[in-house]
Amino acid sequence: MDFIELEAMEGLRWAWNSWPVSKSESNALVVPLSIMCTPLMQFNELPLLPYDPLVCNQCGAILNPYARVDYQSRIWVCPFCYKKNVFPRSYVGIGEDNIPAELFPTYSTVEYQLGSKGNLNLSHNWGSGSDVGLNQSNSLGSMNGSYSSGSLSGMDGRGGGGGVGTGPAFVFVLDGCSGEEELRALRNEILLVISQLPDNVLVGLIVFDSFVRVYDLGFTECLRVVLFNGERQVSSDETKQLLGIQNIKQQLGRPHATERQGFLLPLSECEFSLTAAIDDIRSLTHTMRAYRPQRCTGAAISVAVGLLEGCLVTTGSRIMVFTSGPATIGPGMIVNSDFVNAIRNHRDVDSGHATLYRKSCDFYKQISARLLASSIVLDLFACSLDQVGAAELRVPVERSGGFMMLGESFESDQFRKCLRHIFRHDDDGSLKMCFDATIDIVTTKDLKICGALGPCVSLQKKNGSVSDKEIGEGGTHMWKLGTLDNRTCIAFFFQVGSEQMPQPSSAFFIQFITCYRHGNMGIRKRVTTVARRWVGSQSADIDAGFDQEAAASVMARLAVQEAEKRYYPDVIRWLDTMLIRFASKFGDYVAEDPSSFRLASNFSLFPQFMYYLRRSQFIDVFNCSPDETAFFRLMLNREGVVGSVIMIQPTLFQYSFDGPPVPVLLDVCSISPDVILLFDSYFCVVIHYGSKIAQWKKLGYDKDPNHESFRKLLEAPEIDAEQLVADRFPVPKLVKCDQHSSQARFLLAKLNPSVTQNSTYSDGRELILTDDVSLQDFIEHLQTLAVQG
Amino acid sequence: MSFQVNNNNRPPFPPPFAQQGPPGPQQGPPGPRPGPPPPGVVPRTPIGPPQGALGPPNAPPGRPSGPTPPFGVRPPGPPPPGAFSSAGPAPPPPGTRPGPFQSAPMNSGQVPPPSTGAPGPFSNGPPSGGVQGGPRFPSPVGMQRPVSGPPSLPSGPPSLPSMPPSAGMRPFSGGLAASPLPGPAPLAPSFASHSQGVPPPPLGSSAFSAPAQGPQFQVSPFGSQPWSMQQRQVAPPSAIPGAAPPPRMYNMPGPESAASISPAMSQGPSKIDPNQIPRPIPSSSVVLHETRQGNQANPPPSATTDYIVRDTGNCSPRYMRCTINQIPCTNDLLGTSGMQLALLVQPLALPHPSEEPIQVVDFGESGPVRCSRCKGYINPFMRFIDQGRRFICNLCGYTDETPREYHCNLGPDGRRRDADERPELCKGTVEFVATKEYMVRDPMPAVFFFLVDVSMNSLQTGATAAACSAISQVIADLPEGPRTMVGIATFDSTIHFYNLKRALQQPLMLIVPDIQDVYTPLQSDVIVQLSECRQHLELLLENIPTMFQNNKTADSAFGAAVKGAFLAMKSTGGKLMVFQSVLPSVGIGALSAREAEGRTNITAAEKEAHKLLQPADKILKTMAIEFAEYQVCVDVFITTQTYIDIASISVIPRTTGGQVYYYYPFSAVSDPAKLYNDLRWNITRPQGFEAVMRVRSSQGLQVQEYSGNFCKRIPTDVDLPAIDCDKTIMVTLKHDEKLQDGAECSFQCALLYTTVDGQRRIRVSTLSLPCTTILSNLFRSADLDTQFACFLKHAAIEIPSSPLLQIREQMTTLCINILHSYRKFCATVSSAGQLILPEALKLLPLYTLEITLDKSSLMLLHLQL
Repeated sequence: MDFIELEAMEGLRWAWNSWPVSKSESNALVVPLSIMCTPLMQFNELPLLPYDPLVCNQCGAILNPYARVDYQSRIWVCPFCYKKNVFPRSYVGIGEDNIPAELFPTYSTVEYQLGSKGNLNLSHNWGSGSDVGLNQSNSLGSMNGSYSSGSLSGMDGRGGGGGVGTGPAFVFVLDGCSGEEELRALRNEILLVISQLPDNVLVGLIVFDSFVRVYDLGFTECLRVVLFNGERQVSSDETKQLLGIQNIKQQLGRPHATERQGFLLPLSECEFSLTAAIDDIRSLTHTMRAYRPQRCTGAAISVAVGLLEGCLVTTGSRIMVFTSGPATIGPGMIVNSDFVNAIRNHRDVDSGHATLYRKSCDFYKQISARLLASSIVLDLFACSLDQVGAAELRVPVERSGGFMMLGESFESDQFRKCLRHIFRHDDDGSLKMCFDATIDIVTTKDLKICGALGPCVSLQKKNGSVSDKEIGEGGTHMWKLGTLDNRTCIAFFFQVGSEQMPQPSSAFFIQFITCYRHGNMGIRKRVTTVARRWVGSQSADIDAGFDQEAAASVMARLAVQEAEKRYYPDVIRWLDTMLIRFASKFGDYVAEDPSSFRLASNFSLFPQFMYYLRRSQFIDVFNCSPDETAFFRLMLNREGVVGSVIMIQPTLFQYSFDGPPVPVLLDVCSISPDVILLFDSYFCVVIHYGSKIAQWKKLGYDKDPNHESFRKLLEAPEIDAEQLVADRFPVPKLVKCDQHSSQARFLLAKLNPSVTQNSTYSDGRELILTDDVSLQDFIEHLQTLAVQG
Repeated sequence: MSFQVNNNNRPPFPPPFAQQGPPGPQQGPPGPRPGPPPPGVVPRTPIGPPQGALGPPNAPPGRPSGPTPPFGVRPPGPPPPGAFSSAGPAPPPPGTRPGPFQSAPMNSGQVPPPSTGAPGPFSNGPPSGGVQGGPRFPSPVGMQRPVSGPPSLPSGPPSLPSMPPSAGMRPFSGGLAASPLPGPAPLAPSFASHSQGVPPPPLGSSAFSAPAQGPQFQVSPFGSQPWSMQQRQVAPPSAIPGAAPPPRMYNMPGPESAASISPAMSQGPSKIDPNQIPRPIPSSSVVLHETRQGNQANPPPSATTDYIVRDTGNCSPRYMRCTINQIPCTNDLLGTSGMQLALLVQPLALPHPSEEPIQVVDFGESGPVRCSRCKGYINPFMRFIDQGRRFICNLCGYTDETPREYHCNLGPDGRRRDADERPELCKGTVEFVATKEYMVRDPMPAVFFFLVDVSMNSLQTGATAAACSAISQVIADLPEGPRTMVGIATFDSTIHFYNLKRALQQPLMLIVPDIQDVYTPLQSDVIVQLSECRQHLELLLENIPTMFQNNKTADSAFGAAVKGAFLAMKSTGGKLMVFQSVLPSVGIGALSAREAEGRTNITAAEKEAHKLLQPADKILKTMAIEFAEYQVCVDVFITTQTYIDIASISVIPRTTGGQVYYYYPFSAVSDPAKLYNDLRWNITRPQGFEAVMRVRSSQGLQVQEYSGNFCKRIPTDVDLPAIDCDKTIMVTLKHDEKLQDGAECSFQCALLYTTVDGQRRIRVSTLSLPCTTILSNLFRSADLDTQFACFLKHAAIEIPSSPLLQIREQMTTLCINILHSYRKFCATVSSAGQLILPEALKLLPLYTLEITLDKSSLMLLHLQL
């Protein structure tokens, strides 16, 4: 079974594709029953249905291909609860040879546009699939164009589905303490973004240094700014009161009904003052020597949230924070401005010496709750050589589904690409961005939902299929996401129900219902219904259905979650225990004989993934700042299986004269003077030139027409690297380095240290100076421990 | 008794000035002015055409600069009949006047006010001559001698101007002699002009016109007029007590004149001849005054005269004058006299243009020579002994080594040979350049921060526009240069700061919405060098009225705004000028309309009237103390049409050494010019910042208390965030021990301050006065003006805490005590019905009467203190 192919159809990766019927057996699997779900996956074919879905009266499931349909009496039986539902009148034409798209067996996923004017046409003939609009393009939102005419005639270009005049709201929160150069780059970038925004979006501008300055964009006489003291924590109500926006009752379609406020205005009304205000931002630093600039990031975010709360934006909103240094005053500060005090590191956090850390985290937890209550997304763009407090900010960013970028400079390409990526448009001009999403899971009775790991928040909605056991965000069948894109991936965890044993080889169903506000402000509902089989005990199907990549990424998320709660050694121990249990369960061996240990091919990579996971920056925080760790973990928590696996175990390609590029072992042995290595760890792409190659390059052989092949050899990895970089978001750091150069550390740190200073035979080959255990030793240990039973 | 009778006969007599003024002179803005101002509120006569233009036709001759002889001469012009006819239904024929003044009759309570300008305007700051284009401060000459005719506004409504208590405050407020003069002076003119007509002329303000004096008074039984003023005033320099005629001669009619009086007495023994009442006669001639002559202190000329001082050892009376020019040796003696011993200190007083400027002495690194015990500064009265190697401090008596570099041999006369070359050894007032030792930080820049009310009312009444235009004009007068910093903010229910330091065209408005817990933008954003932002500022000021045109916020966060502005200035200190138009209703220190509360219960309001003069709460006071600590001086310009609770607001300027300017009811037509003029004088007059003042006195005396507008933190020093030429501080003294008869007693006032151009200076004024054990000497050397100013100040301090009636009684009692003491111990026996007045204090009853009569002026006093 090709899991990747399956993923392309379903948008799901199952750690186990066949589930054992008993609870005890499922527990023995070590890797929990889990699904890596990419709710808004791009599909080659995605039917977009311009009508509301049919919902089962009893369990809330949506009509799907697995439902039994009685065309005669026009009844469908819900596959989840077996309740009989009657088709409404609009489905009058339904028949064996005229079925709606949602019943097409090939469409495990369909998308509905809610509240659209184009209702199901009574006389419509669903006859063939080609009659239904399909989204052939890869983009998320450009479905409107490809409809067959007729039923959709009523929709306007902005997209039906409740699309309205007012767009989403963006509050730009800029760090006024950035240096002048940095600010200029930032200003230009934001101006560019703004110039490309649709006219109907609401915009607000906040600049902070030791004060929070909220720009009044509706005031034309001069630039008008409301000032908040950065050192004070202002509650939501106080913020509204101080801004004078307390009593606004803004309604959809009738903005600013009661009172005019100028802090958040449609771009069409304030573009001039907004650009003037942005142009006007100058570096506000008045720093003394030996002091950090006074920055009140926390207060600024709090005010921005208050502003959006006060304006009662219902169309989705984002707060985008651009900062270039640590918060040094007010709520959420991570260090005070005296350079005598260093910014906290992992050791401080672990040992409890980082007094500000807890306080700051508590503050951001409150912010996080406020963000959720108002469906606001918080994004953090940190361009700083120093830490900015991303560790503290991770909770609100992650839980609101926001984006985080850690860069070094606003002038960098990385930042530019990230920002532009977020503000992508689709063909009809609406943003490729969605807001205020919920994911609802409907399952058959035998299944229990344990929880989810990813950028989502439990809505605490319980029903019969919610398990008592919670993993991550649990206790619910419904989750909320501030925003998501077509790569956002959430791990869902399940459990076999204990009440009654299902029949082996019978099917079970899971339906994912993702409801979200599209960039054009229409509301969409995407429904994915999938089925798998129960299998009896000891069935080979269980082994066959193991997806080690999915399992590795699930384990990675679990390990990260553990790491949040425990100290590093405990996490490692936990991982090791899991792996040993896993090995002894699925290994093929004679007890007490390590040499007899074998793993089937579809399990064989898993220990290796675990080895690299142990060494990865997600678990081993040595050499990382808390900010970086937070960022890495946040990215891991939302990345799909493919990306996650790269993050865990980077890929390494070798380019040589011998032939086309080949993947090589992620091992120090792969380094050789006469090859080029292309290393990809997701966050970082390294082109590593062997010493000979580097020398040739230095001598300029690549420019010599006689050495055409050398030039080509040099070009090949660069082209590939560019491809890798282009597709990825956030944009990875691209490093080109020569063997033995300092930059080579990016590569060396990730390689398996099979040759170290302790190795007997190094005979001039590359070695890594480390005491870390090499993969070989690790596997040996694993075998020994696994066979002990 | 007699007074009573007399006065009762004149019921319709002159209404108070305030009422009379407006209808007379300027019909101009008549409408809006209400008649009598509500209690507690200070009415204000509008500035109008110069007084000279109105009033009795013969006014001009009275002008000081006129060629006419001084008033004292009493030209025998025919009396304007009108004046007198209106003076009362039954002006008693001269003949019927009883001679002697009764000693006890000053039953002031019922005497109708002799119309002074008392309720007149808070004349703020500069002589209003400025409005008329008169030269402003730098050339005081102009003001001093108003060009003949019409000008010299000041002679107008005899304002009880800014500092009623101290005539010294505005010594130059335009044509000294002629002007009604501040303080106690207002009375003077009226009396003078109308000579004996006790009642001031009906025409009120214009009263000074000379002609009023009728010849018939000359023939009054008191014709001898032994106490005529001219004599003393004409020759003040020589008016050394010793040289003067025996004291008694100046007393009220002695026995020798009894004969002439008798006829009058026979006619009505219980009556007093108003003609006999002494009255001040201003002299128009300039007097030359040497502070010391023949190594003796020379009693200063009256504060109301025009004099030129030559500093010959003692400081000029402008800087410091004492209530008694001879110091009683014992406390008992002082007690017996009933007089007060106090100094009025006005360290930066404006000198006469013809006077020598104060010399600046730089001692270099080491700083000025000081007594090592009492820290008194070197002065002409320090005695050098032992060939100049040591000197004895005249203040504490300690003997100090002379610093080597300061050593100089003594001449045969026992003085240092270089005494005449060194200003600090021959001048009563010198300025020392302060060394680092005197600075806790670098001298502060001159920071001017303007805070303008832009609430709805303020905009609608035009107050905002007036303030903006005044500021806009005034910034042109601010000194250019890197040390002049300005800032501006506006406020309604929020505070709006403006960032002017910007390369871009648009100013940036920074709003501070939190008025409970105020903060302020970075100082460097808000307070900018004037040279950097002049254009921006002008543009902004022009725009502010339109920018807030549609402001619907009626609330005003005065307290918060002041606090906010203070926070912006905190690091430097400076002057904060607030333009406030409505009752502060929100934010820190919000006030409520107490007056309305009072009205609901009228009887309670009557009883507790003085409580309305107390600040509503302590919040503003606490703030003010903090301001003072950080050297921020607050001036408040109240441009209102409603109740605004000045009693509470004024706490801030009072504590920070500032001033209240009151424009009520504000008129967009007539007030802007005045506002501008006041503001200009406020910032252009000579002034200093971050000042500390201390007065030292010789052993045996010590300072009891300082009073004035400043912050009291430690009892010995006076902290003044800002001090200017108009500010006077009263220093009361008390005896520690007996002083030696015949010795001299010194007072030294040292003011450490920063000049506008950023130099740290110490201005030291030294006054040395003889001590005496003889009571009559005290009376002879009493300084009426100073003494009365002290009276007033005391009264003003009392006002918020005691009922008015009580204060009046106190004043009367004080006066009586003095006179009684004089009569009992110094005067020769005379008939019981006779009032005997010491020459020096002969006007005391008159002044006392005046002040006790006028209710509102007393109230005002309090605010102006």
